[in-house]
Amino acid sequence: MESATMLSTFEKFNRRLSGWLEWIGMIGLLVMMFTTCIDVFLAKFFTRPMQGAIDAVMFAQLIAISFALATTLILNRHIQVDIYISSLPRRTQGVIDSIATLIGFTFFVIVVWQLSAMGHSFQAAGEKSMSQLRIPLFPFPYAIALGSIPVCLVFLQRLLSSLVKVVKG
Amino acid sequence: MSDITIGVIGIAVLLVLFFLRVPVAFSMAIIGFTGFAYLSGPQAGFSILARDIFEQFSSYSLSCIPMFILMGCFAFQTGISKRLYDTTYAWVGHVRGGLIMATVMACAAFGAICGSSAATAATMGKIAIPEMKRYHYDDTLATGSVASAGTLGVMIPPSTVFLIYGILTEQSIGKLFIAGVLPGILLAFLMMITVAILCWRNPAIAPAGARTGWKGRLRSLTGIIETLILFLFVIGGLFLGWFSPTQAGAIGSGGVLLIGLVRQQISWPGFFEAVKDALQTSCMVVFCITGATVFGHFMAVARITFELADWVATLPYSPTTIMAVIIFFYFLGGTFMDSMGLIVLTIPIFFPVVMRLNFDPIWFGVIVVLIAEMGVISPPEGVNVFVIKSIAPDVPLQSIFKGVLPFLAAMIVCAVIIMIFPIIATLLPSYITY
Repeated sequence: MESATMLSTFEKFNRRLSGWLEWIGMIGLLVMMFTTCIDVFLAKFFTRPMQGAIDAVMFAQLIAISFALATTLILNRHIQVDIYISSLPRRTQGVIDSIATLIGFTFFVIVVWQLSAMGHSFQAAGEKSMSQLRIPLFPFPYAIALGSIPVCLVFLQRLLSSLVKVVKG
Repeated sequence: MSDITIGVIGIAVLLVLFFLRVPVAFSMAIIGFTGFAYLSGPQAGFSILARDIFEQFSSYSLSCIPMFILMGCFAFQTGISKRLYDTTYAWVGHVRGGLIMATVMACAAFGAICGSSAATAATMGKIAIPEMKRYHYDDTLATGSVASAGTLGVMIPPSTVFLIYGILTEQSIGKLFIAGVLPGILLAFLMMITVAILCWRNPAIAPAGARTGWKGRLRSLTGIIETLILFLFVIGGLFLGWFSPTQAGAIGSGGVLLIGLVRQQISWPGFFEAVKDALQTSCMVVFCITGATVFGHFMAVARITFELADWVATLPYSPTTIMAVIIFFYFLGGTFMDSMGLIVLTIPIFFPVVMRLNFDPIWFGVIVVLIAEMGVISPPEGVNVFVIKSIAPDVPLQSIFKGVLPFLAAMIVCAVIIMIFPIIATLLPSYITY
C-alpha cells in the first residue's frame, strides 16, 4: 500500500510538472503563429519583412515541441502499434511494460546528457544563428534537455509501477 | 557481419520494440542511434542523435506542420463545421440517404481547412450522428459512413500526411496539396454513390429528411463563404507563391481564429483546448519525423535503401507488379499502424525503390496516402472508428466496423481508378510551378 501511495504522489508530481511546461510550449506555438502572421503582413503591405522572423519561428518551435514532450507521453498521444496484451497474465504484462519503459528511460537519459553536452559545446564555441540577429544557440539544446527531464521522470514512474506489478502479480 | 546484415537486424529489433509497445517515434530513434553507433562508432552515434533532434526540432521546413494542425484545431472549435453541414443538408437532405450525402460533402469541405481525418470524423460525427438518429437512420450505416467520410480530411488539401510525405521526399508541398484535390473529389463522389446503392437496396436504412425550399438553399450558401474564401486565400496563396507553406498555415490559423472571434464562437477554454491539442499533435508528429531521420541515417550507413532499390530493379517482374506488392504492403501495414506513422517509417525505405522504377513521386504520394488512410477505418487499429465510438457509445464497435465496409470498398475502387488513370493525381500538379 505504501508503494502505491508513493507512486501515485510521483505520478501527480509528474503531471503537474509537465502541465506547467506545456504552458510554455503553448506560448511557443502561439509565438510561431503570430510572428509569421506579422511577418507576412509587414512583407506584403509594407515590403519590409520582420527581421529575424524565421529564427523566431524556428526557436519558438523548438521550445514548443521540447516542452510538450512529457504531456504528450503522459496522454499517450504518440503512435504505438496496437497489440492486445490485456488478455495476458498481469505479471507478463508487467514484464513487457518494464522492458519497454526501461528502454524509453535509458534513451531519454542519453538525450538529456547529449543535448546538455551540445549546449555546453555551443556555449564554449560561442555558436550563433546564421541570420542578421546572430542569436546565441546554446540555450536551445539546453531547452531540449530540460524538456526531456520530465520525460525521464514519467518513464521512471512507469517503470516502478510495472515492477510493482511484476513483484506483486 | 556486413553492414547490410546489421541493417536487417536493426529492422527486426525495431519490430520487436513495436511489439513491446514502445512508441513508433522512440523506437525509430533508439534503433537508428544504436545501429549508427554500432556501424560508425559510439561518439558518431551520440553526435548524430543530438544533432538530428536539435535540427528537426528547430527546422523551419517542419514549422508548416504545427501551423496547419493549429488551423484544423481552431476550425474544430469555431462552429465552421456546423455551418458547412447546414449548407450541404439544405441541398441534399431531402433525398434518401441525404443526411449521409450531406455529411460526405461537409467532410470534403471541412477537409479544405482541416488536415486530419480523425479531427474531421470527430467534428462531423458530433453534428451528423444526432441528426441521423433523429431521422431514424440505421446506426451501422450512420456511424460507418461518418468514420469513412472523415478520411476526406486528409485527401483534400491542406493535409498533414501530404505535408509529411513532401518533407520526407523533398517534393513540392504545393504540388502534393493540389494533387489530392481530384482524387478527394472522386472519393467523395464514390462514397455518395455507395450511399445511393445502399439506400436503393434497402430504403428503410436511410429515410429522406425534410425538404428545404430554394430560398433556404440559396441563403444556406452564406455558411460556406468564409470557408471558401479562407481556402482560396490560403491554398491559392500557396500555389501562386505568395506564401511559403509555414506562412500559409499561420495565415490560415489566424484566419480561422479571426472568424471564430468575429462570430463569437470561440471561447477562452475552446481557444486553450485548440492550442493544447495542436501542440500535443505537433509534438507527436515532429518527434516521429525526428525518429525517422535518425533511423534514416542508420539505414543510409547500412546501405539498406540503396541495395534494396538495386535489388528490386533486377527482379524479373514488371514495375507494375512490384508497385502492386508495395501497395498491398501499405494496405496491410495500415491495419496495424496509424497512416502517418506508417508513412514516416516506410517512405525512406520505399521511396528510392519507387524512384528507381520511374513512378511519378506525386502520384505515389497520393496512392500511399489513400491506401494508408484505409487503415484508419479498418480493424484492429481503425482510429476513426474509435473516434466515432466515443461519439456514439451506444453503437457496438463491430457495428461501426461493419458500416465502414461498403465505404472501404469505395476507397479500394478509388485507388484502383487512380492506379489505372494516374492522370487524376498528376493533372493539376502539372499546371503548378511552385
